[in-house]
Amino acid sequence: MHRDRGPVGSGTGMLLVLPAALVTVGVTLGGLVPAVLESLGSGTASGPPTTAAFRALDASALLDGLRVTLGVAAASTAAALVVGYTGAVLVQRSRSGGRLVAALAAGVVPVPHLVGAAAVGLLLSDAGLAARVVGAGPGEFPPLVAGPWWVAVVLEYAWKESAFVLLVVLAATAAADRELDEAGAVLGAGPWRRLRGIGLPLAAPALVVSGTVVFAYVAGAYEVAWLLGRTYPEPLPVLAFRLFGDVDLAVRAQGLAVALVTVAVCATALAVGAALLRRAAPSREPA
Amino acid sequence: MSRRPRRDGPVRTVLVRRVGLVLLALWWTLPLVPVALWAVADRWSYPSLLPDVWGTGGWAAAWDDGAGAAALRSAALGLAVAAIATPLGALAGQGLARAERTAAPPRWAVVLATAVVLPVAVPSFATVLGLTSLALRLHVPAVVALVAVLVAVALPYTTWVMQARWAGYDCGYEDAARTLGADRVTVLRRVRLPALAPGLAVAAFLAFLVAWGDYVATLVLGGGRFLTLQQLLGATAAGSGSEPVVAALAVTTLAPALLLLAVVSRLDRAGAAS
Repeated sequence: MHRDRGPVGSGTGMLLVLPAALVTVGVTLGGLVPAVLESLGSGTASGPPTTAAFRALDASALLDGLRVTLGVAAASTAAALVVGYTGAVLVQRSRSGGRLVAALAAGVVPVPHLVGAAAVGLLLSDAGLAARVVGAGPGEFPPLVAGPWWVAVVLEYAWKESAFVLLVVLAATAAADRELDEAGAVLGAGPWRRLRGIGLPLAAPALVVSGTVVFAYVAGAYEVAWLLGRTYPEPLPVLAFRLFGDVDLAVRAQGLAVALVTVAVCATALAVGAALLRRAAPSREPA
Repeated sequence: MSRRPRRDGPVRTVLVRRVGLVLLALWWTLPLVPVALWAVADRWSYPSLLPDVWGTGGWAAAWDDGAGAAALRSAALGLAVAAIATPLGALAGQGLARAERTAAPPRWAVVLATAVVLPVAVPSFATVLGLTSLALRLHVPAVVALVAVLVAVALPYTTWVMQARWAGYDCGYEDAARTLGADRVTVLRRVRLPALAPGLAVAAFLAFLVAWGDYVATLVLGGGRFLTLQQLLGATAAGSGSEPVVAALAVTTLAPALLLLAVVSRLDRAGAAS
């Protein structure tokens, strides 16, 4: 087979990537640079940069927001990984039923989160389908929507992102890996032993990558927490958005400051994920 | 080799597997059940398990709220983003696939590949908050800024899809066509585009969905005046909004997405088989 083999050294390959890279970098910097400048006071006053907006932030609102953001992201990621990976194992070990489940997951991935949030609301609110099914009387159904434990928010993310995890794991697990699993079975290893000794180590890179993407996504997402969460504490994106919408320019700058804190949280998550991936990757090499 | 413990016996394993698959199927379909029911309910009082009065009142109300025009706006936005992000992603994918094939990928490839995935790493709500100021200052129309943001968000996906396609692309057919006297345009039109068509369809589908399903960028950059289907859904679901309208809007959002998914996966399979 002849591959597409342009003159690599001459840089035509680079020219091909450049337009896309210019758009992504231009848009990202076009958003982040004004955000940094305005959060440092360029929008409110002329003069030297000031950290006034950061210092003016309500520390308890910021810390509570950070705690909720991290908690919701961690719980959603954990649930998505467990369900998605379990699903991938079951799909790989079965035939037609597995294909149906994989098709359902593929159908869930393109559902916008706002639609998912509206659907989970109709399912879990105190007058939702779940409350009807259990026959809860007035005030008896636990506050899953807008309640203290963010259950509806976490379930929405877990619902959609577990489908994403399943597809990533299925795509990353080669046929050779499945043969290794079968070899383990032939040698007498039970399902749990095979899962611990063969399945999990082989899927580890895919789990780390998809888990990192899910965590960073959830930490920086707005609409699900806005629709299904409580009014206080607000996750960082919701807090940033509310402050940004204020008519007072100084409060607006605080909104941008919170947005930048969120960016830092996501960047940290990605850095941790990259470090974990470097650790997980060698496990694919034969010992 | 028959020392397999009894508890791992095939009957029990198969049963566990079946129960697991049924639970998973429920997990991914259950949240959509109330949506489907509310979409055909005119009245559904608590605690009835099924609607009291069936009907399509929600659809009529959604239409009166401007759902038709909003859907057209969403579709136009999706098409615009797909039209820009697909060719850009195809070019980038070709460049990166070429670089991938060299013994050691050149430095620029690593840098540019990172640059292309930047929008995945930076939450887009933060980007759009800053971008509103820039767009105002530079007098860029909000719709242009919105399309630019959504193209940037879509580019990592279109690039990944097309990079994989280019990695498996066989240039032998192009050589054969050229030997037979085809010029560059003919080779592009008759050989390259048909061969890449399934990949391009998947990439365009993903780019379309990024814009079709967007909420936050449209909300911020459109300032609440660019009323897409998602804006309408958000406003209805957050307000006192009636459930039948929410359900009608949700189903309207899902229908083209699932339809396109079916078409594209069929195309994709046809492409993989050929």
